[in-house]
Amino acid sequence: MIAILAVAGVTLGTLGLGTLGIRLARTTSDLLVASRAVTPWWNAAAISGEYLSAASFLGIAGLEMQNGTTALWQSLGFTAGYLALLLFVAAPLRRFGSYTIPDFAEARLRSPRLRGLASAGVLLIAGFYLVPQLKGAGLTLGVVTGAPYFVGVLAVGLVVAINVALGGMRGITYVQAFQFWLKVFAIAVPACLLLIHLGGLPARAALFGDRLPSAGPHGLVVHLDARQPVTFPASTPYTITPLHGGAAHDFRARAGAHVTLPAGVLRLPAGAAVPVANGTQALRGSEWATPVGGSGQRSPVFVYSLLIATFLGTMGLPHILVRFYTNPDGPTARRTTVRVLGLLGLFYVFPGVYGALGRALTPQLYVTGSTDTVVLRLPQAAWPGTVGNVLGAVTAAGAFAAFLSTSSGLLVSISGTISHDVWPRLARGTANTSARRRRRFRTAAALGMVAPVVVAFFAQAIDISVLVGWAFALAASTFCPLFLLGIWWPGLTARGAAVGIVAGGVIASGGIVVGLALQEPSGIAGALLAQPALVSVPIAFVAMIAVSLRSKEHFVPDAEMLALHVPEGLDLPDLGVRDPFILGPRGG
Amino acid sequence: MTLEPPPDSRTLRDELADSTAHGLLYLGRLRQRQLTLSILALVAFGALVGVLPLAIDLLPQLRRIHLLGVPLAIWLVVVPASPIFLGLAILYTRRADTLDEDFRELVRRR
Repeated sequence: MIAILAVAGVTLGTLGLGTLGIRLARTTSDLLVASRAVTPWWNAAAISGEYLSAASFLGIAGLEMQNGTTALWQSLGFTAGYLALLLFVAAPLRRFGSYTIPDFAEARLRSPRLRGLASAGVLLIAGFYLVPQLKGAGLTLGVVTGAPYFVGVLAVGLVVAINVALGGMRGITYVQAFQFWLKVFAIAVPACLLLIHLGGLPARAALFGDRLPSAGPHGLVVHLDARQPVTFPASTPYTITPLHGGAAHDFRARAGAHVTLPAGVLRLPAGAAVPVANGTQALRGSEWATPVGGSGQRSPVFVYSLLIATFLGTMGLPHILVRFYTNPDGPTARRTTVRVLGLLGLFYVFPGVYGALGRALTPQLYVTGSTDTVVLRLPQAAWPGTVGNVLGAVTAAGAFAAFLSTSSGLLVSISGTISHDVWPRLARGTANTSARRRRRFRTAAALGMVAPVVVAFFAQAIDISVLVGWAFALAASTFCPLFLLGIWWPGLTARGAAVGIVAGGVIASGGIVVGLALQEPSGIAGALLAQPALVSVPIAFVAMIAVSLRSKEHFVPDAEMLALHVPEGLDLPDLGVRDPFILGPRGG
Repeated sequence: MTLEPPPDSRTLRDELADSTAHGLLYLGRLRQRQLTLSILALVAFGALVGVLPLAIDLLPQLRRIHLLGVPLAIWLVVVPASPIFLGLAILYTRRADTLDEDFRELVRRR
């Protein structure tokens, strides 16, 4: 009950602040870039608030519980991405004045066709990234209210679409900053209180020793809403009481048995190793506690591939770049990024605590395969009673803040791209008045939510972290080489960039699709199919460089290099690359 | 590389504004320096953080030593990265701003 109120509060607060934003959002520039008047601290909190998504709030802890401490590399990679952004992109890009990836692609390489390709990439990556947010919303609302999965998906989809359509980004810069602190509070306070309450980490043998995750001293009761195929890792006695009448039956599973449990109540005796849902591997404490080692998703190859995807992918996420445009100049963009690194470091201390405590205290999530909900379920399990309920409400509110803020940022990028790049192409000849532009942006915000919502309905079985890992892999294999080479290498050509983007994008998404089709392939190949960045990123770079060197374009980007690299304060006349503010080259 | 001194009548600022070969040469040097700085910071990142997965994989004793009841390997993933990022970021930003300032100084003098 408290949790429902907390979630409703966060949602209404977001909507309210968004509606407040509408009064301020007079011009299209307000809608898109908040007119560039945001200070570094506000901006850093807003960037962090927008960045901390379902993957950070729920996904890392869920993956850690399921797959072991290798999941902790994700939080490292998610932060490291901003270091790459700082070192190679932040200041030059802000000087250049492009605030979307398609703007940069066209202005730097003078190619409208490349703009089209980049727009397609933005829609793909932002859409990919929206799906896990909506999935997280469906899960959370399910845990809090018992509502079916699709209700949460629809609810968050609707709230975000309305909010973006009405407030745009002016509305959400301050909302995002506020939501960052809400999320830090919501993840940190319950984690600290639970650790103090429990007096440190419980069930060490299951965490770091040789135990499998096991039922507690009073046994374990698991309610199964539907049939659940599981594997018993050890010989275990268990009792099943079927949901629709029938007496309780005692069974004994041998080690390694695959059993489909009927809907009903499963009871395990004290200390029994819990069965795990299909798709999950039962790990002993020592394996679980090994951050890297072994095969598949714990192999060094996978870890490095993931680190590359996150390190290089962050700069290619469409909703992140837009935020940098709200800095007044290059040095401010650098300072903002440093602050972001500090703020993210603060947040990422905490998700790991939930994964570890969850392994000890909520082993029933292994049975149902819903480890993604550990952050939401842990407080009640670890501290039954009012305190647990309140803390559970706090984490649920934080999770909702995470979906709302990230989805809003992504939807702003999607609607910006649709209303500026796709729509004007389809409706050539109509006058481009500002009223029409605003109307297009708002319509695009509504339309842009439809496809991700539909995909999210079908993505319930895929882990949040996995979905997000793919978005990062795609961004790292397409837009990262475009930025790095476009900013630092005058020799990049439009043809080279296009070939590289297509090559990287096709290989990254191909790996993901093949990996899905083969269902959990093993070995190094399996690791690379699950996270293809280690292969696809170098290929994209090599393709861009090789094709650029061979193509015969006689175009020396002097003006572009000046705009990218001349420091502020020299008072040079217009450097030739226009501020693509509002509409970019197609505007006016 | 030897450079012709710019004709007295034209300042480096004008040369940049007109993107003359001379102005672009100076700008190219700035770009090169900034890039070198960024790559240096990247190498430092690789040496300090990028080797962690390999080190933990190759040194099993890191998993056996426990600190406050938690294996050292886990501490290594969780603790050092953020301070290293922040330190590198602050050092880099200071140096990059200095390079920009030196360039401004150069333009003002000429």
